[in-house]
Amino acid sequence: MKRIFIKPELCAGCKNCQVACLAEHSPTSSVWLVNLSDQSSQPRNSVRLNDQNRPVPLTCRHCSEPECVTACMTGALSKDPVTGLVQHDPESCAGCWMCVMSCPFGMIAPKAGERKIAVKCDFCAGREMPRCVEACPTGAITLVEISPTHAVAAVPERSPEGGIQ
Amino acid sequence: MAVCISADKVLNDFLLSRSNVETSFNRVPDQAVKCGFGMQGVCCRLCSNGPCRITPNSPRGVCGATPDTMVARNFLRAVAAGAACYLHIVENAAVNLREIGRGNSDLPLKGTTLLHELADRLAISGKDINEKAAGLADRVLEDLYRPRSEKMQLVEKLAYGPRFDKWCELGILPGGAKSEVFDALVKTSTNLSSDPLDMLLHSLRLGITTGLYGLAMTNRINDVIWGEPEIRTARVGFGVLDPDYINIMVTGHQHSLVGILQDSLLSPEAAATAGNAGAKGFRIAGSTCVGQDMQLRGAHCTEIFAGQTGNNFTSEALVATGAIDLVVSDFNCTLPGLETVCEQMRVPQICLDDVAKKQNADYLPFDIRNSRAIAGKIMRAAADSFAARRQDVVINVPSHGYDDVLTGLSEKTLKSFLGGNYKPLIDLIAAGEIKGIAAVVGCSNLTARGHDVFTVGMTRELIRRDIIVLSAGCTSGALENVGLMSPAAAELAGTKLKAICLKLGIPPVLNFGPCLAIGRLEEVAADIAAEMGVDLPQLPLVISAPQWLEEQALADGAFGLALGLTLHLAIPPFITGSELVTKVLTGDLEQITGGRVIVNGDINSTVDQLEAVINTKRAGLGL
Repeated sequence: MKRIFIKPELCAGCKNCQVACLAEHSPTSSVWLVNLSDQSSQPRNSVRLNDQNRPVPLTCRHCSEPECVTACMTGALSKDPVTGLVQHDPESCAGCWMCVMSCPFGMIAPKAGERKIAVKCDFCAGREMPRCVEACPTGAITLVEISPTHAVAAVPERSPEGGIQ
Repeated sequence: MAVCISADKVLNDFLLSRSNVETSFNRVPDQAVKCGFGMQGVCCRLCSNGPCRITPNSPRGVCGATPDTMVARNFLRAVAAGAACYLHIVENAAVNLREIGRGNSDLPLKGTTLLHELADRLAISGKDINEKAAGLADRVLEDLYRPRSEKMQLVEKLAYGPRFDKWCELGILPGGAKSEVFDALVKTSTNLSSDPLDMLLHSLRLGITTGLYGLAMTNRINDVIWGEPEIRTARVGFGVLDPDYINIMVTGHQHSLVGILQDSLLSPEAAATAGNAGAKGFRIAGSTCVGQDMQLRGAHCTEIFAGQTGNNFTSEALVATGAIDLVVSDFNCTLPGLETVCEQMRVPQICLDDVAKKQNADYLPFDIRNSRAIAGKIMRAAADSFAARRQDVVINVPSHGYDDVLTGLSEKTLKSFLGGNYKPLIDLIAAGEIKGIAAVVGCSNLTARGHDVFTVGMTRELIRRDIIVLSAGCTSGALENVGLMSPAAAELAGTKLKAICLKLGIPPVLNFGPCLAIGRLEEVAADIAAEMGVDLPQLPLVISAPQWLEEQALADGAFGLALGLTLHLAIPPFITGSELVTKVLTGDLEQITGGRVIVNGDINSTVDQLEAVINTKRAGLGL
């Protein structure tokens, strides 16, 4: 199974992962053409400053025991038994925001604009490599293979000055 | 190792064979991840509250700047810098012409016919060629140095009449060129202009100064000094290098500087210097646009100019052949990456203009009053280098290029070739034998599908559809090195265009040389329009700068838009973050100047679009 692995110490705060996410979920998929001013769109990932003022990329962890799935009353959120990804079905979403309140990482949000359903990372459905991983210039956002028991099988090399924070 | 590919297969193979040499082609994969905000022009670094970037969650900068303001500011700054580059070139050319005219240099003027024509056209008096030369230079320099409140005086005489009227109507006649650049910087600084439309109009004014002075006037002055172009055939490609000679590679854009080498390297002293170093003599290997300029005026330096080797991104590979003994640079398109290859191949570098000073190069300040001494220093440095390095450096010149490239095309020679007027060409267009004209111009980059890949692919498709192609810029280096500027390329053209090419013995892609010759193409267009009695936007003519690279290309493009022409780019000029700027440049501008930008990164659909523009304009003319 593939998962996004974050090495925050490598993040430069460029937000290119957010542009890539917006592009992937826009009509043209193009970074040149995505409307960055469109208030009815939103990136599904985020770059925030931590308590040391250092940028940290945040993205859905597709948790092994996802709080959002547990909290979802309509069944719109589910964990795929094969891929392990936490999926969201907009058709079934009632917009109750229980998932928004229960996610410990703030990685599911009301859809910008109409705010009727929730929006979260779909791992760039169908794409071999999620766009945020592809767009990260520093290697802070990587794709790794994990074993079914969820131990990280192959972690890319860590930076010399420190491990995972 | 992943490398960028070129449309030029021999170049690809050569680069792969020199795996110990790192060039720009090797660095492309490592720079493949681009910044999305930079691509869209919505990163602002104008103050310490930034850098600010636009996202749906942060729709304005800290200061309140909208994406429209950010994009327009960034665009105008880029156009201003590009205009500044070309204005620097024309300034130096004019200063050199003035000093020759004043008798402060013994360089002869080889284009006196043109000088007399210009003096008549611009009402410059003078009892002899020297007075006329100095008078012309003074008039150009006066216009460059005016304040912005004073309009440039030669514009009316240099511009196509209907265009001048249009510019008056739109209020975009430029004031003094350098002041226009200066105030563009003021306007785009922190918390000054926030008006995108005013900034776009300023870009058009800068385009006019670039086109009429930076491009067209530079050509004329260099024609006057070094001789007018003459149509002939020439050799191109790496194969022009002969290892028995001391090879001086020239890069840049200023023929008015490096031209001093032409006659000096033929002197008896040069022959003796070369002989002492163990060489048969000196040769100049043309690289980038200054080489294109020497090729264009090559009838006046046949012996010393070996030929044009290629464009900006072939220059590192050229040094990697080992056959270059000295690099002389006068302006841009002298890549920083050239320096490491020079070091590796033990090639010294000399810069003649500090605006293009390379870190490892010796700076030799240019002064035309001192041209013999400067040429002598360059000659001796090249000979010393030859003697010092040739024992140790392996030379590997691939079999590359063509020996029958048609060159020497200009606004004057094309007209003469056609019999003194454009009627034969206009008749062919009217009859549909030639569908239209595409000016394929500008740079080369490594990102529009690879080195010259878009340029070459698009050109092949244009000629296949009976659209004749005129080239000026690094596009010429691309197209001549793949054979499209040799007469045999007629076979690749559509049936009708092929028949014309075979009859006249010309290729379907006409070689006007350097990017400065974009000024010549626009004069060709004006002459055709004048003979047809129409304005430029009505012509079945399109411009494409498919692989535009740098800020100068954007200034050239601004001129094309001011002229009312349709301009294609394969890569957006960092504007798509602004709905307003994008809408104006790709649409509304057509109602203002007649010009507009088409952005398309796909070869076939680009040619479909360009053909549709040509067909619409043909229909407008009743063809």
